[in-house]
Amino acid sequence: MAEERIGVYVCMCGTNIAKVVDVDSVAEEMKDLQGVAIARSYKYMCSNPGQQMIVDDIKEHGLTRVVVSACSPRMHENTFRKALERGGVNPYMLEMANIREQCSWIHADALAATAKAKDLVRGAVQRVKYHEALDTRSVPMCPATLVLGGGIAGLTTTLELADSGQQVYLVERAGHLGGNVARIDLTAPYLDSARDILKDRIARVMRHQNVRVLLQSELLELKGFIGNFKPKVVTPVGEEELEVGSVVVCTGYKEFDAGRIKPYGYGTLPDVITSFELEAMLRKGNVVTKSGKRPRYVTILHCVGSRSPEYHGYCSRVCCMTGLKYANEIKSAIPEAYVSDLYIDMHAFGKGCEEFYKKTAEDTHSMFLMYAKGQHPSIRLAGPNDDASMIINLKEQLSGEDLEIPSDLVVLLVGMEAREDADKVGRLVNISRDKDGWFIESHPKLDPVATTTDGIFIAGACSSPKDIPDSVAQARAAVARILAKISQGKIAVDAVYSEVEDELCSGCRICNTVCPYGAIEYDAEKKKSLINSAVCKACGCCVVACPSGAIKARHFTDEQVYAQIEALL
Amino acid sequence: MAIRANPRLIEDLERFGAEDVSKCYHCGNCSAACPFSEEPFIFPRRTMRHLQMGAESRLRSTLSPWLCYYCGECSDQCPRGAEPGETMMSLRRWLSSQYDFTGIARWMYRSWKNQLLAILIIAVLTCIGMLTYGYTWGGGNIAVYDGPGAFLPDGPIHIFDWIMGGALGALLAINCVRMWYFLMRGDTARPVSIGAYIRNAALLPLHFFTQKRYSQCSNKQPWVMHLMIMLGYTTMLVLIVFFLGAMQEGPEIDWRVHIFGYLASIGLVVALTWALRGRLKKLLTYQKKTHHTDWAFLGLLIYLTLTGIVQHILHRTGLPMAANIAYVVHMMGVVSFEATQVPFSKWSHLAYRPLAMFYAKLQKDAWAAGVETYGKAQLPAATVAAD
Repeated sequence: MAEERIGVYVCMCGTNIAKVVDVDSVAEEMKDLQGVAIARSYKYMCSNPGQQMIVDDIKEHGLTRVVVSACSPRMHENTFRKALERGGVNPYMLEMANIREQCSWIHADALAATAKAKDLVRGAVQRVKYHEALDTRSVPMCPATLVLGGGIAGLTTTLELADSGQQVYLVERAGHLGGNVARIDLTAPYLDSARDILKDRIARVMRHQNVRVLLQSELLELKGFIGNFKPKVVTPVGEEELEVGSVVVCTGYKEFDAGRIKPYGYGTLPDVITSFELEAMLRKGNVVTKSGKRPRYVTILHCVGSRSPEYHGYCSRVCCMTGLKYANEIKSAIPEAYVSDLYIDMHAFGKGCEEFYKKTAEDTHSMFLMYAKGQHPSIRLAGPNDDASMIINLKEQLSGEDLEIPSDLVVLLVGMEAREDADKVGRLVNISRDKDGWFIESHPKLDPVATTTDGIFIAGACSSPKDIPDSVAQARAAVARILAKISQGKIAVDAVYSEVEDELCSGCRICNTVCPYGAIEYDAEKKKSLINSAVCKACGCCVVACPSGAIKARHFTDEQVYAQIEALL
Repeated sequence: MAIRANPRLIEDLERFGAEDVSKCYHCGNCSAACPFSEEPFIFPRRTMRHLQMGAESRLRSTLSPWLCYYCGECSDQCPRGAEPGETMMSLRRWLSSQYDFTGIARWMYRSWKNQLLAILIIAVLTCIGMLTYGYTWGGGNIAVYDGPGAFLPDGPIHIFDWIMGGALGALLAINCVRMWYFLMRGDTARPVSIGAYIRNAALLPLHFFTQKRYSQCSNKQPWVMHLMIMLGYTTMLVLIVFFLGAMQEGPEIDWRVHIFGYLASIGLVVALTWALRGRLKKLLTYQKKTHHTDWAFLGLLIYLTLTGIVQHILHRTGLPMAANIAYVVHMMGVVSFEATQVPFSKWSHLAYRPLAMFYAKLQKDAWAAGVETYGKAQLPAATVAAD
């Protein structure tokens, strides 16, 4: 231990650290610690001259370990590890002391903050003495991909990957491809046919040499880890095990059950229908009431099940434009019909949508009537003297009037919700769901198609309500992520992971149940648990849970942690 | 009390000229820009909204369109091109057809073909009637214009004028009563005492003869133009109804009568030319869109002004046969104009406007008294939202 030569670098981070912490006195004090060969402060350690300073000092002073006291390791640990590597020292011989987020940014008292910074750096110096040289490893990447769900997102993912020359297995529960898009007539805002969007894609997927379409099939089990998944799929002809490197979940959504909102009378009033029931009529080219008559007054009711505390708080994002689309389609199918559009807010945020709203208002002369959140309209049968079959009562917001709207056909724009089997699928592929049941992204803004499990991606409306362009964009984004991994050919595995010491393991399997990443398997023959280093994230749960103390977390060993704590106290 | 929406209303109003109502998204710029919009009559936004939501009963009992003079400020300020000024104009047409119990106004407003058909039928009937009268009960010789043996003696024609005037006046009076009922007895009207009607009665002639409110618009041109047309027309009407004999006698000119006729004719020719030029060249905002009833009104009025002048010249220059023919041609226009425009079309606003000013004052006073007594917050919602 005595021959270790430690370099300590205290960063000013411009004034971010230096305005509160006296960095020079921190560096000065570290010089006295045993093993410290050199201690300096510098304006920006992460800058090129800052990094170069470490590289030069390693060579000049023969440093064997380095402590950088600066920002959070989440920010620059990799930067400094690479500097060590350039200097010829194992990158894991670095320890960072966070004196910015955990010190200068949160304290005003300069003296106390400086004292705290000294403690933190001292802890890091004591810890780094116990660091071990670790090696990063890599595992091979299987280039095939499993796509779950044959809707527009699944079809896009499949085609993009297959066109780039990679093998794709497309698993679809139904007997046909197309998903929810196959149930609609036209698309908003350009009124293109949904059939045209799908027809060509389905045909290409079905005959693509790189695609195996498994209809009426389901994922049964998913073993393995990124680059090396072994999904078990049940098909009409039996179970089959596949080998893939990535999985893309494109399981989509289901529509809200309109019957849950009693004042709308869905299920009891014959001519109150859902958007998908209207789509079926439009596809047949025959918009009629239950009694077979052409409706004279058609009412479109927005936000059914959406943006309401009793049902779903979120916006389903597609209904506003769908409502406008219906106004156009109904007017074109029944020119003598009058359309009313009952909305809370008209969200026309997408490309071409505001223009579509304006044009629809002008072309169809629909009555746009606004109701307040929580003040649902109610629908009842009309009396014998009314010229319509139903009357809708509404408190109209822009005028403050209580309004009665005659109606022969009411279309409920049912929102999107997570599928019933989302929980099951989530467990199978080990991804989590939010409070509404949607799959959670790795980062909502910066990593929207990855999940917390490496190699599992989500695309389309399975993660939140989405329209076709957004679903397609996500599918292509997921493909980009997968192709990047495939092109590397292998998966780098972090050197920081947990290991089971075979001699100490009693085979109690407690660790198997606590692992949040499914990284621990049980070897029934040896009666020992085994950690898959490619899946392990080094969270440390198993280390704590193991009653025999058989599990060691690399880079977080007991000696390292105790040394740090001792120095801090 | 809930009101029934009429989803057909937007399309119905389109026939009356309101084409762009659906573009409105209720920013309220129009009401802010309007110099006449004030409590309790806030418009055009509220009126636009009632139209968009098919609130027919609210619109039928609204005074707002009559308080608008279409200066065009609102349409100029509108960010959506929703033409609130044109909508208010169209609502005046629609309201005129609502006041009319016969349904003729609606029939003519909704279709230019109907309007034209009505004018032509009346013109042809007038022609046949006058020639029949001339050749049977009249002088029988179309070459005699005045004096003994005149082809068209003024006595019976004068009586016919009185009968026609009485009938049309009665129709207009009935429509005015209906207007009163909708406005002063409608679901959002405030109660007004008989005393208040009497105290404010002087407003009626004041607004009729001066169009005082119109003069408050920043651009005075349209007011001058309208006043000239109205005064010219009224002067000629008085001359014809009371002094037809003096005008038809000749060959001497009776200056006590004719000086008024000349002044009125000059005024009409100038103002009508001014108005027609503006509409043809679309000079002012309110002249950009012209409904077929506007063309019919201006067209007929310039027709009967010019044919009247020609008839007068022919008569005074000693061309009796041509004068008789001109007289028949002139009368074809006069009868068509009176019969179509006075109770059923644009000219009816000569009565509706001053009445609306009168009712607006009564309603405003009643509203202000309510605010004073109860405070604005305590007024029943429907009363506040009335206009």
